[in-house]
Amino acid sequence: MEGLSRRGLGRAALAAAMLPAAARAQSTAANAPAPAGEPIRIGCSMSLSGGLAGNGRPAAITHRIWAEDVNARGGLLGRPVQVVVYDDQSSGANVPGIYTKLLDVDKVDLVVSGYATAIIAPAMPVVMQRNKVFVSLLGSGVNTDFRYDRYFSISPTGGRIKETFAKGFLDVAMAMEPKPRSIALVNLDSDFHQRAAESARFLARQHGLRVVYDRAYPPSTVDFSPIIRAVQAARPDLVFVGSYPPDTAGLLRAASELRVNFPMMGGPMIGPHITAQKLQLGPILNNLVVWDVYAPEPTLQFPGMQALLERYQPIAAREGADALGHYVPPLAYAQMQVLEQAVRRVGSLDQAALAADLHAHRSDTVIGPLEFDAMGEWTEERNLYTQYQGIQGNGIEQFRRAGTQVILYPPRYRSGELRKPYTAGAA
Amino acid sequence: MSGATLPAAAPLAAPRRMGHGAFWLASALAALALVAALRALGSEYAYFAATFVLQYVVLATAWNILGGYAGYVNFGAAAFFAAGAYTTVAVGKAFGLPLLPCIAAAALVGGALGLGTGVLTLRLRGAYFAIATLCLSVVLQTLVVNWDFVGGSRGAYVVRPREVPWPFDSYGGFLCAVMVGLAAGAVAIARTVEKSRLGLGLAALRDDEAAAEAAGVPTLRLKLVATTISGAMMAVAGAPLPYLGSYIEPNSAFGLAYGVNAIAMPLIGGTSSWAGPLVGAVLLASLQQAATVTISSAANLLIVGVVLVVFVCAAPHGIVGLFRGQR
Repeated sequence: MEGLSRRGLGRAALAAAMLPAAARAQSTAANAPAPAGEPIRIGCSMSLSGGLAGNGRPAAITHRIWAEDVNARGGLLGRPVQVVVYDDQSSGANVPGIYTKLLDVDKVDLVVSGYATAIIAPAMPVVMQRNKVFVSLLGSGVNTDFRYDRYFSISPTGGRIKETFAKGFLDVAMAMEPKPRSIALVNLDSDFHQRAAESARFLARQHGLRVVYDRAYPPSTVDFSPIIRAVQAARPDLVFVGSYPPDTAGLLRAASELRVNFPMMGGPMIGPHITAQKLQLGPILNNLVVWDVYAPEPTLQFPGMQALLERYQPIAAREGADALGHYVPPLAYAQMQVLEQAVRRVGSLDQAALAADLHAHRSDTVIGPLEFDAMGEWTEERNLYTQYQGIQGNGIEQFRRAGTQVILYPPRYRSGELRKPYTAGAA
Repeated sequence: MSGATLPAAAPLAAPRRMGHGAFWLASALAALALVAALRALGSEYAYFAATFVLQYVVLATAWNILGGYAGYVNFGAAAFFAAGAYTTVAVGKAFGLPLLPCIAAAALVGGALGLGTGVLTLRLRGAYFAIATLCLSVVLQTLVVNWDFVGGSRGAYVVRPREVPWPFDSYGGFLCAVMVGLAAGAVAIARTVEKSRLGLGLAALRDDEAAAEAAGVPTLRLKLVATTISGAMMAVAGAPLPYLGSYIEPNSAFGLAYGVNAIAMPLIGGTSSWAGPLVGAVLLASLQQAATVTISSAANLLIVGVVLVVFVCAAPHGIVGLFRGQR
């Protein structure tokens, strides 16, 4: 204890006094009364096989983790929770049958959605018929046609996609020197990417940018070199791309082979969100500006997030799911937290009361506080635009560290500065 | 086609054969009994499971008219099915019509598509015809993907009406009753075709097309009639699909499962009679639905494959053929 000052002694005494309190807090979970009675059953359809399984399986693991967490804390309304999940095989045609089975035969108390618009939408008529609260996972504009007042969306795009989705990309771009004057728009012909391109087109016009290339490619496209060549020929300052994982890999490989050099390239290029593709592309990702929902940056840490990832990653390694879990798991956990907090606040499973509560109150989740508007979308969108920086080789550890995927937008979460140009891995 | 060319058919069937009118009446009564039984169960899931199975009864029965009776294997069943589904979307959106007129429109579109396909492809035989029908699916899907009015590749929403038609307790119940009616109608049409001169002609050309032609069977005309009826019925099977899920997109409407099941179900049940596709569809679709909510994995097509291999090896004439063999 050499050199212990009076102030140091005071701190040590304070720490000693707080130790039992901390220990008590830590043991709260262990000492929580064990949940008893009939479990509260929460049903969902999830894509555990087929094309959407890459994101469906991490979501299912996360739902399991959430149920374990809640049960360890004494359950919900004193009862244990149980997630009942059926594999929809990534086919919307299976979804209505699964939800009717869940509600009529399994008699689940609550329902949540599986992953993606194509799975959420077919569940809507069944859920609406039973007047159930429905918290969805990463659907885009599902409630625009249904206008169901008990629908709540866990998707950071918010309700005004056209006005806000590409705002971050263009705000970051317009801060560059010299100011960009032209933009190329490339997108997959799919619901989400059409909406994203519409937003980019709308905002580009507002910024006075000249659109020099604007094409959608069909889902069956396998050769992306002609697209990249055509974009190169148009000599744009900005390239806004919307793609899904197989196309993203194809587009970025083509960009690398053709040695592109654009001041800024990126957009909703879904692909590097999945760990396997991060590792596969490695340095090709350097300086790519990608729309995302989470990045392991110090500016974006909310209570419970790190603990979730630490629980998720060993299970994912065991079950062969997405290794890092930075894309769907935070949102899937938030999906269940939103429902959990509403049930706790209301104190019952009354669906009308739960819906009213979710419209009226803010929920605190691992992805931050969430509030819903009348259509069930987030009142405040939170489209993150991130940039991969300094990637070397194909190791996984670098993607766990802060500074590899810096946040450029929104300003309140900003953790780094834009680097340019994008050269697809060329030194 | 004279009676002298087919001497053996009449004496075998004549004593116990039910007339067409009686069969249609029996089908209608069976349909009513099924609707009443499902209503008595009072479960939305029972409605859904029945709709799922009956949709395949219509599809398999329709496929069998060309594939089973005439022996022309059609790999494009998914294209006709999706054509029906997208007709509902297009007609509903353009004219605001409810489901029943959309089904009638789907029958017209499917029939026209079948006739057109027949005119273009029926000079081909065997594998060449099968490949041509496979291409139809690719062509139609490309058209739909690029047709913005029906949602293109983004898909389209079809919101169920708030009012449930009388006397049903839910829209699911109404959809199920519609599908029961369509299935009963499809089976009755198949049986009528099978026992008519058209069916005899198709059977003749299935056995030996050159010989049938030489015997005076108007093969091209019969094949065109068969493709038209088959196409119309397959489209009718797909017409209620958008209301079932409220959302339709090209990948699911043109799904592999429809094409595979449309072929596998009649092959497992037996292709030579109207009962074969009915038995095959009920067996296989029930198994698939049960697998979806029990095994909960991608076992569906695996089940189809395994059952198909078993039946091709053990019962090449299907389940109906097994029973006929024992008589």
